Amino acid sequence: MKSKLILLVEDNPDDVKLTLKAFERSRLANEVEVASDGVEAIDFLFGTGKHASRDLSIMPELVLLDLKMPRMDGLEVLRRIRSDERTKMLPVVVLTSSLEDKDRVESYRLGTNSYVRKPVDFHQFVDAVLQLGLYWMVLNETA
Amino acid sequence: MSASSKRLTGSVLPEVDAGDFAEEKARLEETKRAVFNILEDSAREKERLEETHRALLNILEDSAEEKAMAEATQRAMLNLLEDFDVERSKAEAANRELRASFESLRLANEATEAANREIEAFSYSVSHDLRTPLRGVAGFSQLLLADYSEKLDDEGQDYLRRIAAAAERMGGLIDDLLKLARLSRAAMERGRVNLTAIVEKILERLRLAHSDRTVETIVAPGVTVFGDERLLTIVLENLLENAWKFTQNREAATIEFGAKPGSEEIACFVRDNGAGFDMTYAGKLFQPFQRLHKLDEFPGTGIGLATVKRIIERHGGRVWIEGAMDHGTTAHFAIPRSTEEEK
Repeated sequence: MKSKLILLVEDNPDDVKLTLKAFERSRLANEVEVASDGVEAIDFLFGTGKHASRDLSIMPELVLLDLKMPRMDGLEVLRRIRSDERTKMLPVVVLTSSLEDKDRVESYRLGTNSYVRKPVDFHQFVDAVLQLGLYWMVLNETA
Repeated sequence: MSASSKRLTGSVLPEVDAGDFAEEKARLEETKRAVFNILEDSAREKERLEETHRALLNILEDSAEEKAMAEATQRAMLNLLEDFDVERSKAEAANRELRASFESLRLANEATEAANREIEAFSYSVSHDLRTPLRGVAGFSQLLLADYSEKLDDEGQDYLRRIAAAAERMGGLIDDLLKLARLSRAAMERGRVNLTAIVEKILERLRLAHSDRTVETIVAPGVTVFGDERLLTIVLENLLENAWKFTQNREAATIEFGAKPGSEEIACFVRDNGAGFDMTYAGKLFQPFQRLHKLDEFPGTGIGLATVKRIIERHGGRVWIEGAMDHGTTAHFAIPRSTEEEK
């Protein structure tokens, strides 16, 4: 299977490590780009800031987006992705600790494709990542 | 009259005849009658005057009385006005008090709203911030176990399993705490709720999930109350799951749902013949995270009855529990009959 790029937007280094481990376990061979907050994610997607010299022809197939982050939160990232022609069709999965109704509702209102709560248990987390990867990277046909 | 007397004095004798005298006499008579008439009239006038005078006196007498009465009335009115004044200042004082109460009510409302916002922020923080490090603890200990177990002896592996299990248990506690917080602030949607139907559905689900167990169930028919169906379902789930759990060591387990409709409230109960508890600790049972049994005997976070209490109290009702060590438990809840029902 051709390696596809995933953009993981996550500020917590433990969660980054666990998510990368989960991808490794799920045996979905994917390249993962990590952005440690919303600003970095936007820089990567639009080739600005520290990613100014990036080749924009390579875009991620999937964005895994945490909500609560410093500088720019996930909802703002989602709003910007959906309001730009270049990224408005990009599959986005909100992957968060929050189970607050308002976060979920707001995420869907802003156009997320999916909303997944990170389980505390690592095995469940691997399961969740595996299913996410399978669905979005293998089964789903993008627009 | 003066003309007649002139004639009398002026007509001198020589050519006077008897016919002339007769005429004079008649005239005199007439005058006399006229005078009499006049006199009579004046007498009548006088009488009338006297009558008038008497009437006036009477009137004056009456007016004195009137005056006295008027004065009395005036005094009474002044008293009334004075009373009014007293009443008015009382009313004004009451008004001021009312305004002050309204103001403190408004302030209390504002404080409540602020507290609610704070609780919301707190539970958001609990939901997100407490779970994140916990995922680190659970995740990395599980990774250690999976990838490095050959470098650890049995004791080391046991410690790691304990860490992972404790972290997971804490995750469960956090989730239950969040659920409880969410229940307390969710809006109520009241309607007629068929408790019998809900109980039967839950028991059916428990039977399917634990097909290895035989539990005799007795469900009172047609029990309905006025309340929020979603919340009351959570109440019954908690009570029936408890009953199911605490009868797990009984050969002949029995779970009963019943109700006693009263004029003020409908009292319901869930009774089991399970492990029971020591009544000394009955008060503790409705507090969050209080447990009376060892975890390895009967698992649970200890949030169930606290949730039941919270929900029933939001319905304006009450909860209580009876039991004896090894002789089963009866959990009661009573929901008031509502005047809204009639609407």
